[in-house]
Amino acid sequence: MARVSNWQIGREMSYWYPEARPKRQFAAVFDINKCIACQTCTLACKTTWTSGKGQEYMLWNNVESKPYGFYPLGWDLKLLKELGAQSWEGGAYQGRTIFEAAPPGSRVLGWRPDEMDYANPNVGEDDCAGQIENGANLTVPHLTWFFYLARICNHCTYPACLASCPRGSIYKRPEDGIVLVDQGRCRGYQECVKGCPYKKVFFNPMTGTSEKCIACFPKMEAGLQPQCFVNCIGKIRLAGWISRPEKAQADNPIDYLVHVKKVALPLFPQFGLEPNVYYIPPIHAPLPFLHQMFGPGAAQAIATYRAAAKDPDLAGLLGLFGCTERLIPRWRRQGDTVMGLDEGRKEIVRVPMREPIYTLPAVDNKYGVVRTNCP
Amino acid sequence: MRSSLRSVPLLLLALLVPLACQKAPPTSTAEVVVVGRASLPSDPNDAAWQDVPVHPAALLPQDLMEPRLLKPTTAEVRVRAITDGTRIALRLDWTDPTKNDLPGPARFSDACAVQFPAKVTAEMPGPFMGEKGKPVEITFWRASWQAVVDGRGDTIKDLYPGAAVDHYPFQAAPLEKDPQAQREMEARYSPARALGNPMAGPRERPVQDLIAEGPGTLSPAPAAGSAGRGRRTEAGWSVVISRGLPEGLGPGKRSQVAFAVWEGSQQEAGSRKMRTGWIPIVVEAKR
Repeated sequence: MARVSNWQIGREMSYWYPEARPKRQFAAVFDINKCIACQTCTLACKTTWTSGKGQEYMLWNNVESKPYGFYPLGWDLKLLKELGAQSWEGGAYQGRTIFEAAPPGSRVLGWRPDEMDYANPNVGEDDCAGQIENGANLTVPHLTWFFYLARICNHCTYPACLASCPRGSIYKRPEDGIVLVDQGRCRGYQECVKGCPYKKVFFNPMTGTSEKCIACFPKMEAGLQPQCFVNCIGKIRLAGWISRPEKAQADNPIDYLVHVKKVALPLFPQFGLEPNVYYIPPIHAPLPFLHQMFGPGAAQAIATYRAAAKDPDLAGLLGLFGCTERLIPRWRRQGDTVMGLDEGRKEIVRVPMREPIYTLPAVDNKYGVVRTNCP
Repeated sequence: MRSSLRSVPLLLLALLVPLACQKAPPTSTAEVVVVGRASLPSDPNDAAWQDVPVHPAALLPQDLMEPRLLKPTTAEVRVRAITDGTRIALRLDWTDPTKNDLPGPARFSDACAVQFPAKVTAEMPGPFMGEKGKPVEITFWRASWQAVVDGRGDTIKDLYPGAAVDHYPFQAAPLEKDPQAQREMEARYSPARALGNPMAGPRERPVQDLIAEGPGTLSPAPAAGSAGRGRRTEAGWSVVISRGLPEGLGPGKRSQVAFAVWEGSQQEAGSRKMRTGWIPIVVEAKR
């Protein structure tokens, strides 16, 4: 075991391999508040990558309702239970990561889903956290809640799948940090399936190998965002590159959201993988739940997000989500316009912060028409 | 009527005499003795195995390096060996009350392997997958591959009879007239198969020829000369693995051999296995 630094937990930790950060790291921000669980992302991924024999049950991308939705069943609860209660002190994690809590004989603390755990991808969909009492709809905030959690592979800085593989069949690309299973080398031991806390590696019974989200690397190499990003009708996603916190650049959209505004947070940072998909937490869910899921920054992130209407930079940048298929590694705002730029700061896309409003009168004398709104 | 009744005990006697005469094969505790024969049996049920000495090899959990097997499972593998002068056949028998031959998530197959040093030298490679510069040759048999060779189909419905698949895009009607385009599209959704990973099939043999130079280095051998045949027995598995006679092994010659067994019901795979150290193996001198 080596000692490595993990900024998400505010301390050093043990990992199977020494720290070796890629030249640049694939990262993403998902705005949970905008997701409507239409599963267009899921289908975009499914048709692009996992329509083959043996991939029938695979969802490299899925959207589940929290608190009662999971794919596979109970993926987060089972590991949280195995890990036991842990604590944070400020921004520093006092508990054990899944590498530090590895049981004898294993490289990480993990569990392997049973076949039946994959049988109900829609379990808990739209289920509220509790009963809706009479009159509850009149109380704000609502006492009952749920939210949608869209999930892909986190292309972690310290992947547990990679650490788990005894053959070194999983690698993290030095050029972009994307984590891949070498399909020529994998022998299907399923150690990675057991090790990945997010359960985003899947065993293919027809090929005898394990497969996972590839962050649409052929698209990323061409400067394009992955399929699940560009097909998202809620425009909740933005792909890009993340810097280490001390090297954060405010004109990098991911850096701005994660490091500067701290409005987007990692999923279960306490597991210790330094995951690279960052979530803007849902504003209406209870803080203890969000604290457990996104770490100690949840309350501040929500406060910042709520204030976005008075923060033209933040509001403007959120408007760049889903506005182009191209990667936008840089951005800037000019007045009421926000622009996505390439690395050379050349404009790729331009988005107005406020769309013009057109009012169509019910009785239009100019055109001699009467317009009727359907109820 | 009377004569036919009288013939019943005679018939029974005729059946029992050969059974009584069929002696338990001799045991060779110290080493695996390879018996010379004109031809190699390919099936574990072949009568040629009957008088071949059995070496009972005790199995130990692979608990030296992660991921380790901490709880012992299969205690012993009983080994017999025959050579025809150019090839060697080893029969491995072990007790296994559960048959595991279906692949799937959290499904693991029963399996076994035979390991020889690639070269017989004074300094043997490490017994656990060899070591750098001192490779070992491994023949690996897996129950799930045997089932496919024995006729189980290679579709998801053969693994999960209740599975319903709406549609595979490469089976779309417009592609039906172009099998080449169909194959190309199917390969795109099956990268391991497209890359020629021997794990991915299509499968014609239940065994794989592999080489290794230390843990984690297992890779396909340049030549695939091994064959195998496994049968489910009342007690467990009986598997014949045959391959070219390892280098340095011939009449009157000695080498070393090692074995491993994986118990699918215990989710054993890769380095989570029961294994032996090096065991002496000797080929009988020509009579």
